[in-house]
Parts: sequence; structure tokens; C-alpha cells
Amino acid sequence: MKSPSHKKRAAPSSRGPSTPAAGAFGIVDCRLEKPDYRVVEVTRNGEFSYEARGDLSAPVPPIRESRYLTPKQHVEIYRWMLLNRRMEAALENLYKQGKVVGGVYFGLGQEGCSCASAYALDKDDWLAPMIRNQGSLLVRGFSPRDIMMQYMAKAGSPTKGRDASSHFGDIYERNVAAPTSMLGELIGVMAGVALGARYQGRNIACMTYIGDGGQSTGIFHESLNFAAVQKLGLVLIVENNLWGYSTPTERQFAIKDLAQRAIAYGIPGVIVDGTDACQVYDAAHEACERGRRGEGATLIEAKMMRMKGHAIHDAAQYVPRPLLEYWQKRDPIARLESYLVKVKKWLTAAENRALIEDVEKQLEADRNFAEASPMPVPEAAAGGVYCDGTCHEIRPKYGLKEIKAKAAAAKIKESQAAVHLK
Amino acid sequence: MAAITYLEAIRQGIWEEMERDPAVFCMGEDIGVYGGAFKVTEGFIHHFGPERVIDTPIAEGALVNAAFGAGLTGLRPVVEFQFIDFIVCAFNQITNMLAKSHYRWGAPAPVVLRGPCGGGVHGGPFHSQNPEMYFVHTPGMKVVAPGTAYDAKGLIKSAIRDNNPVLFLEHKFLYRRIKEELPADDYVVPLGKARVAREGRDVSVITYAAMLQVALEAAEALAREGIEPEVIDLRTLLPLDREAIADTVKKTNKVIVLHEDTRTAGIAGEIAAVINEDAFDWLDAPIVRIASLDTPVPFSPPMEEFFLPKAADVVREARRLKSY
Repeated sequence: MKSPSHKKRAAPSSRGPSTPAAGAFGIVDCRLEKPDYRVVEVTRNGEFSYEARGDLSAPVPPIRESRYLTPKQHVEIYRWMLLNRRMEAALENLYKQGKVVGGVYFGLGQEGCSCASAYALDKDDWLAPMIRNQGSLLVRGFSPRDIMMQYMAKAGSPTKGRDASSHFGDIYERNVAAPTSMLGELIGVMAGVALGARYQGRNIACMTYIGDGGQSTGIFHESLNFAAVQKLGLVLIVENNLWGYSTPTERQFAIKDLAQRAIAYGIPGVIVDGTDACQVYDAAHEACERGRRGEGATLIEAKMMRMKGHAIHDAAQYVPRPLLEYWQKRDPIARLESYLVKVKKWLTAAENRALIEDVEKQLEADRNFAEASPMPVPEAAAGGVYCDGTCHEIRPKYGLKEIKAKAAAAKIKESQAAVHLK
Repeated sequence: MAAITYLEAIRQGIWEEMERDPAVFCMGEDIGVYGGAFKVTEGFIHHFGPERVIDTPIAEGALVNAAFGAGLTGLRPVVEFQFIDFIVCAFNQITNMLAKSHYRWGAPAPVVLRGPCGGGVHGGPFHSQNPEMYFVHTPGMKVVAPGTAYDAKGLIKSAIRDNNPVLFLEHKFLYRRIKEELPADDYVVPLGKARVAREGRDVSVITYAAMLQVALEAAEALAREGIEPEVIDLRTLLPLDREAIADTVKKTNKVIVLHEDTRTAGIAGEIAAVINEDAFDWLDAPIVRIASLDTPVPFSPPMEEFFLPKAADVVREARRLKSY
């Protein structure tokens, strides 16, 4: 979990755009660069492939100054991003050594989006990650060893070997809901968590993610509409990483920006550069505050690119080379590192080295722990399907007052009304 | 005390649970001011308020996931499907999100999914279905199908108090057709327990929901000709009360399984397998299945009547079994 320094927030300044007041929702674009290209399907010698059309020569834009983050918080987010990336590098090695069961999913190029968004949550808020948001899980208080053991299907993993990867959660301490593999499902779940908290007298922020691919599902629309109608504190980060497995966005939706979806549901929409952690944080912070004020949902589109294949088996050869090079220059960690070390000088080169070393040390310890931990016994597959009442106590998390005894005892009146079918 | 209907019993059960436990609330389509398509929640909004009787958009998938989310915060949502036919719109949410969550990551899903099922009221293919077996085949679910007003009230209370996702099937043919006097006290009927609805010795009729009435009607007729059927009301389909099934087979040695759900892969097949495993040596005759046709539920009354199992079918099969 993040350090207490997170609580010290600088007063908002007038710099940069802010989400508009209720009733005047448009799209706020926070980016300092608006790339202009499209991916088109081309055919050469009877073979089809994708090509990027447009200007990909623009220089890398500066990091947008955060209106809220302290220097120390910048460094904390940077550390989470590093831990996120290097943990995934460790997982890749474990996979190559044959120690991972199944595949590995990466958030390469998206660490800034995962970590900075989750960093905006308070303790009582909730998070529901997608497969690439392993960084969000770290920020929320899970350790690299938890994720490693999930991938290695170990008995000591959060799901005790029953599910893989980021498919785990914690409803008591860390307030994390586990995903299913079906896309768009968590939006309604997070809306429901917000509803449950409000029922108990608390407005909280409930954050989840969806991709440019996942936003095509029916449940995305059902759930976003539900959250908007109920004015629930949903913070939906639409991670537009340009590829839904191998399908480019041009085959996924016909609008220009996915933030436009927000207008259709009557909630504010924001566009951020997903490789700029400061933009992501500020937008997420404002959306969370809006949720905590009980003003409703926000949709944030984070534009970036998935810098590896869908999973470890996928070499992503369908990605046009110039597009890959364009986004390689916009590496979120390199950008933030340069900002902290060179531009702001909030981190000396020596401190940066020490920080990286510290991250590596933590990962090594966790990797050793995960590797040494046992596999589950086969019989552990049985049981645990039902909650028998002794394994979990169900009680209102945010506290619920007893119902006051009504002056006149409530009597239910028999229904006499006409009904649909008799 | 006046007798109350099956529908009224369910209304009272939910009402009393909401009075008892502030964590219980209702979500669904048209359940607030309108009181629900069948008026199960009529008047609830005036007493409990719109925070506890929530009208939702027509979006069953989002509704079920939202109920699950509210459940994660320690509440006990009761979700109404206007007709249970629409539950398939939330199939993924129920089977993958709710049913698997406790096993996968230790998160209970204390959610009741309830709504009117069944035919006999000329509702046609989309307002008459019996979708129980989709969910009986889903580990993590509980599936309940009461056949009497007493059980309907006692079982809805148990379903609400249960820590697991419970599909509560209310047979709409029974809603206002059957009545009985219920105890004034706060009673529950445990999930997973079948009931001997009529004692007998010659043949067992294992059934549930509206077909319970059909079985009892057939039993009356058979008794007049000297055949004494034992009628077992399953009440809960998952988990299945295997013990009660084996007990009745050991007593009568002949079995008819009767259900309104369609025949192929209906629960009769599962029950036949259970008997095969637990009481094969006590069988004196082949297990008989009586079920609806393997077709969608037809709309036109003569066709629907032909589609549904009838007491005459049970009488005919019981006579045939007698000769073994």
C-alpha cells in the first residue's frame, strides 16, 4: 500500500484542464501531443498485413506537470512502475525456465497507466484489475511473490492454485475484486461495490479498466449505463493500447476517441497520454474525488501501445515496425525517469541506482520464495465451492445501522393487483 | 389464520428478511413503484424506500454483476428477473462471476436470483421456460424450486440467509393458485433437503415445483385403484438430496421422475444416475422419466397442454410399473 505521504496533496492549481462541473460534460484532452496516424490493412502479393499511415516523426513530448503529486509521490509511482516492469521480466525468465504454468501476460508500456491510476485510490476505495494491470495490484498492496506464485500455480498463491495470473483479490484488506477472463464484467461489479458502499452511507471510488478490445462487449455498455444512471463512483480507465490481441482499433470501433463513449452515457470523459504517469494520476485523482463526492462515474481514455504480444507466446509481428518504434520512444518509465532525474532533479543518479538495486533485491527475494514454495496437493482441487458460513463472515463492510423499529409495526398488505400472466 | 397464496408467501418471506436484516435489499426491473410484473414487491418501496427497492435499467448482466459487487461489501442483494427466461441474458455473469468466486478467490456471493418460471399460463417460448439445468450444472450455485406456499416462504428466507448464489425459481402457475395457512413464527426450510409429500409403498414419484401438484393429483387417482405412490418433493435441485432419493427407492423399488423441464438432460437423467450409484440393488423396474417435450414451450393452449406432463401420464406409467 502506498505511504502516508500520499495523503499530503498540493492544492489544485489553475494549470491544465480539469473535469467540468456536473451537467456540462464534454471531453477533456490532457495530452501534450496528439498523434495523427491510423493503422490500415494492406495487401502485397496477395498477403494481408497492417501498416501505419500518418506522421510518426514527432519528438517525444515533455511530461505534463502534475497538479497534485508531491516530489516524493512522483518517486513512489516511479518505483511501482519499475517494480511492475522488472517483475514481469522476472516472470518472462521463469517462463523460459519452464517454471510458469500456462502463459504470461505483460503490461509493458502500460506501467504508468496501471501504477499511477491505482495510486490515486484511498484505502477504502476499490480496484478491479484486468490482465495487464499487475502494477495496480502491487500498488494496492500485493507483493511480487503473490503474482509469481499465481503464475507458478503454487499452493501459497492468493488463489491457492485455483486460478492464474492477476485473477485474485481481497475483499477485506486491500479491496480488490478478481477479474474473470470475460471482458467488461468488472465494470458492473465495481458499480455494485460503489452501490453497496453508498447503501452503507459511504461514497467511494471504484476503479477498473477495460481495453480497446473489451469496450466492444455488450456488458461494457450495460454496466457503464447502469453506473451512470445510479451516479456511482466508478472510475473507468479505458486502456486504448491499439491492439485487441491482434486486432487494430480500426476493426474494433468507429469513433475517433473512446472517451467519446462517456458523452453517450452522460458522464465526463477525459483523454490522457497513457505513457505520462502524471497525466494518468491527475485524471484518476480527479475522477476518484468526484466519485467520493458522490457525483458519479468518470471515463478516462489512456492512449498508449501494448509493447509486447497479447501473451508470451505472441511475437506481435502484426504490429507495424514504425508504430512500434514511435511508441518505444515514449516509454513511460524512461520518460518519468528522465523527468525525475534530469528535469526536476528530484532523484539523483545515485539515488536512482539505489532504487533500482532495491527493486531488484526485492524481486530476487520474492522469486526465491516463490520458486521454493510447494505445489498444492492434488486433493486441494476438491471442496471450497460453497461458503459454508464458517469460512467467511458476511457483514456490511462500511457499517450499517440497525433498522429503527417503526412506530407502527409494518404489516405487509396482500397483493390484489392485476398481473401480466395468470 | 387466513390461508395465503404461494406468491404471498414469497412476498412475506422477502419482507420479513428485509425487516430482520438491514443488509438485505431488492434490485430488479419495475420492482419499485410498479411493484414488479407479478407484484411480488408491491408496496415494498413505500415501506423500505428506493435505496432498498432499486429499479434498474433493462440490463440483466449489469444487474447481476452489480449485485455481486454489492455482495462483496457485505450486503445481501435479492435480484428479481421479471421472467426467469431472461436469466440467460446474465448467464456469463452468473456462471463465471458469481458461481466461481468463492472457489477461485475466496469471495462469497450472497446473492439471491429469483423470478417466475414455468408454463401452463400460455406465456409462449420466452415467458414459460424452466432454465434450472443450466445452473444445476454449475458448481457453486444452489438451485431451489418450491412447490408449496409453506416451502416457498421458508426457502426464500433460507436463500437470503445463505452465503452462496441461490437461484430461486418461483413457479408462476402456482403464484395465485395454491393457498395454505402458514405459521406465524419466523420459520425457515433448509436448502438441500427434500420432503416426503405423500407417503406410499408401491412406486415413488420424484418431482418438484408445479409438477408436485400433478403428482399429488395422480396419487389420489392411483390410490383409488389400490396403488399407493410415494411423492417426493425435491424442493432443492442443487445440492440434490441424494439420501432422500435413495431412501424412497429402497422403500418402493420403483421410480418415476416427473418434471416440467424438457426431457433430454433434465434432472431426471441425473436422478437416474444417482439411483444407479446409491440404490441400484433395490430397483425392481426401469426408472421412468416423465417430462415436457424436447421443444420450445409452444404458445397455443392445446399445444402447450400437449407439451406439458399431466397426471394421466403419471397414472399410466405407475400402472405399467405395477406389473414388474
